[in-house]
Amino acid sequence: MKRNKGMIILFLTPAVFMFSVIFLYPIIRTVVMSFFRIDGITDPVSRWQFTGLANFTKLANTSLFRISMWNLFRIWFIGGLIVMSLALLFAVIITSGIRFKSFFRAVIYLPNIVSAVALATMWLQYVYSPKFGLLKTVFTNLGLTSLAKIQWLDNNHKFGALLLAYCFGMVGYHMLIFASGIERISTDYYEAATLDGANKFNQFRYITVPLLKGVFKTNITMWSVTSVGFFVWSQLFSTVTADTQTITPMVYMYMQIFGAGNSITERNSGLGAAIGVLLSICVVAVFWLCNHLLKDDDLEF
Amino acid sequence: MKKKVLALALASAMTVSLTACGGGGQTAETTQAPAAPAETTTAASAGGDAQTPAEPAGDGSSLVYWSMWEATEPQGQAIQAAVDQFTADTGIAVDLQFKGRTGIREGLQPALDAGTNIDMFDEDIDRVNSTWGQYLMDLEDLAKGADYEATANAGLMAACREVGGGSLKSIPYQPNVFAFFYNQAIFDEVGITAVPTTWAELDAACAKIKEAGYTPITCDDAYITCMFGYHMSRLVGEPKTEEIVKGGQWDDPSVIATAEAYADFASKGYFSETIASNVWPAGQNQELAMGTAAMYLNGSWLPNEVKDMAGDDFVWGCFSYPAVEGGTDGVDAANYGAQVLAINKDSKNAENAFKLICYITQGEFDKMLSEMSVGIPADSTNTEWPQLIACVKPVMDSMTTRYPWAAGAEANADMTPIIKENFLNLCGGSIDAQGFVDALKKAGN
Repeated sequence: MKRNKGMIILFLTPAVFMFSVIFLYPIIRTVVMSFFRIDGITDPVSRWQFTGLANFTKLANTSLFRISMWNLFRIWFIGGLIVMSLALLFAVIITSGIRFKSFFRAVIYLPNIVSAVALATMWLQYVYSPKFGLLKTVFTNLGLTSLAKIQWLDNNHKFGALLLAYCFGMVGYHMLIFASGIERISTDYYEAATLDGANKFNQFRYITVPLLKGVFKTNITMWSVTSVGFFVWSQLFSTVTADTQTITPMVYMYMQIFGAGNSITERNSGLGAAIGVLLSICVVAVFWLCNHLLKDDDLEF
Repeated sequence: MKKKVLALALASAMTVSLTACGGGGQTAETTQAPAAPAETTTAASAGGDAQTPAEPAGDGSSLVYWSMWEATEPQGQAIQAAVDQFTADTGIAVDLQFKGRTGIREGLQPALDAGTNIDMFDEDIDRVNSTWGQYLMDLEDLAKGADYEATANAGLMAACREVGGGSLKSIPYQPNVFAFFYNQAIFDEVGITAVPTTWAELDAACAKIKEAGYTPITCDDAYITCMFGYHMSRLVGEPKTEEIVKGGQWDDPSVIATAEAYADFASKGYFSETIASNVWPAGQNQELAMGTAAMYLNGSWLPNEVKDMAGDDFVWGCFSYPAVEGGTDGVDAANYGAQVLAINKDSKNAENAFKLICYITQGEFDKMLSEMSVGIPADSTNTEWPQLIACVKPVMDSMTTRYPWAAGAEANADMTPIIKENFLNLCGGSIDAQGFVDALKKAGN
C-alpha cells in the first residue's frame, strides 16, 4: 500500500502540474488582471495599476458593451432555439430510416467543413446583395416587391442576416450529436410502442425526447460555449471596424486588448480580462441551470 | 521490473522537464521568458523552410525581421526580393518571417516582452510609434550616417519624427494618402473640368453627376466614419475632432453642422441607394469599379484593390477632401502616412538592420515594391509613379497637415460602432441631422 501511494503521487504529479500551469494559472491570472489597468497584455506586473472594480463598473456603464452583451444573448437564445429545433428535426428525419441517409447527413453537415470566410462572403456579397442577391431575385420572381426591396445588410436587418447565416452553418453539427443520441436508443422501445398503438409523434414525445435529456444538455452546453466565443462571424460581417448590430463581447474584448480598427485607440487588457471573467460566469451559470433543469440521472437504458 | 523502472524513469523525466520549463515563474515576464527561445526557433525553422534559409537567430551575425505582410502578397514578394539581394551582397542571413496583419498586431508585443530576438519589424506608422513606441531604437544617427534623408520623402520623414515624439524612430515605406478617388470618365462625360476644392463645388459636381444618371458618391461600412471625421476636421481641425469624439461633446456646433451637410447631400440623392447596407467591399467593387458610382473617399491602395474589376481602361482621378466654409483646415490636410520599418532597441545588429531597411526603402527595390503593389514609392528619386495612381501625386505633394486614421473619428473605440451605425443611417436617409446628434448623445450616457 505504501509503495502504491508513492506511485500514485508520482503519476499524478505531472497531470496536476500540467493542470495548474495550463489551466489554473491562467484562470487565476485573468481574474487578478481584471482588477488592474494594464496597457499591453504582456506588461510586467510592476506596470499594472490596481483599480479595484473600476473595469467592471466601466463595462456596466459603457453602452457599447451592453449592446454587445445584448447581441450575445440574442445569438444564444434566438439562434439556440432555431438551431436546436432544426437540428432535432433533421436528426429525427435522418434516423427514421429514410433512403440516402448518409447523403442527406453529409449535405446538412457540409457548411461545417467550408471555411467561415468563404461562407460569409457568399452570404454578404451574393445572398444579401441588394443589386443581384439571391433573396432579391427570389422575391422579385415571386412578385413580392416590398420584400425584394429590403436591404438585408442595413442596420435594421443586419443582425437577422448575421444570425441566419451563422445558424445555417451550425445546424449540421448539432444534428449529428442529436442523431447519435437517437441511434443510441434501442429500437425495442419503438417496436413495443408501435405494438401498443403509439403513433410516430407520441413515440417522439414519450420515448425520444425523455431519453435525449443528456444529449440536450450536451448540445446546450456546446452551443453556449461556442456562442460566448462568437467572434469570427462578427468580424466577417463588419470588417475593419465593429458594428452595433454584430458586436459581441469577444469582439469588444479584442478591441480593448489589441486596439480597434485602423485607429490607435486606448488599450486595457484588464478590461479584456474583466470581460473574460463575466463570460465565464455566464457559461457556468448556463451549465449549472442545465444540470438542474435537465436531470437525466434517473434514466437508465 | 524492467517496465516499472522504465515507467519511473519516464515519469521523472517528464516531471523534471516540465519543472525546468516553468521554473521560477513568479511573474509573467519570468514564466514566459524561458519558453520564448523555443518558440522562436520553431517559428524560425518553420518560416525558414519556405523562405530564405537562415542561420539560427540570436548570434548577432544574422537578422530577424518580422513583417506585417503575407509571403504571397506583392509587398511580401518585393520585400523578399530585397532581402535575398541583401543576403547575396553582404552574406548576412536574414530570418524573414511574414506574420500577416493580425499575426504581428497580436504577436509582436508579447514576443518582444518575452525577450524574443527580433531585430526589426514593420507595421503602420501610428501603431509602431504609439503602441510599440517603447521598443524602438532611435534611428537619427544611423540615418545621418547613411545620409538616408538625401533621397527620402521629407514630408513622411517629418511625420515619422512627429509621431516618434520629436526624433526619428522609424523609416517610412509604401506611403499612402486618404482622399476622394473618382472615375475620370464620368467627370469628363458630365463636364466637370476642375476637381472640387470646396463643399459648394462638390455639391455642384454631384448635382451634375446625379443628373447624368450616375451615383455621385458611394462608400462601404468600413470607411464611412472617415467621411464624418474629415468633415469635422475641416470644420474645427483634427485635434478638436478627437477631443469631441473622446469627450462625447456632441453638442459642439460642428457635429450638427457636419450632420446637416450630409443630410443635405442625402436628401439630394447624392449617395448610393445602398450606402446604408454596403458591407465592404460591395461599394468599391460593385459600384465604383463597375462605373455606376463616381466618387469614393478611400486610401491610395484603392486602385490596386479593384484593378481586376475596373479593367484596364478605367482612368482614376484623385482630390483632397474639399474645404468647408468657415472651417479651419483646407485641402492640404489629410490622413497620409506609410508603413514603417523600425529596429528593436535591444537589437545587437542595428547597423545591418538599417542597411537592410535601405535596401527595402530605396532605389531598385522601392521601385519594385511600388510597381508590384501599385503603391507610392518612398524614395524621392523614384519619380515615376505607377500609371494607375499617377493622379495621387499632386495630392500627396500638396499635403502639409497630417491627420491620423479617419481624421480622429475613430479615436474612441467605444463610440466608433455607434458613429458608424448612425452615419450610415444619416447617409441612407433614415435619420435626419438632429436624429444623428441625439443618437450619439444617447449612446454616450
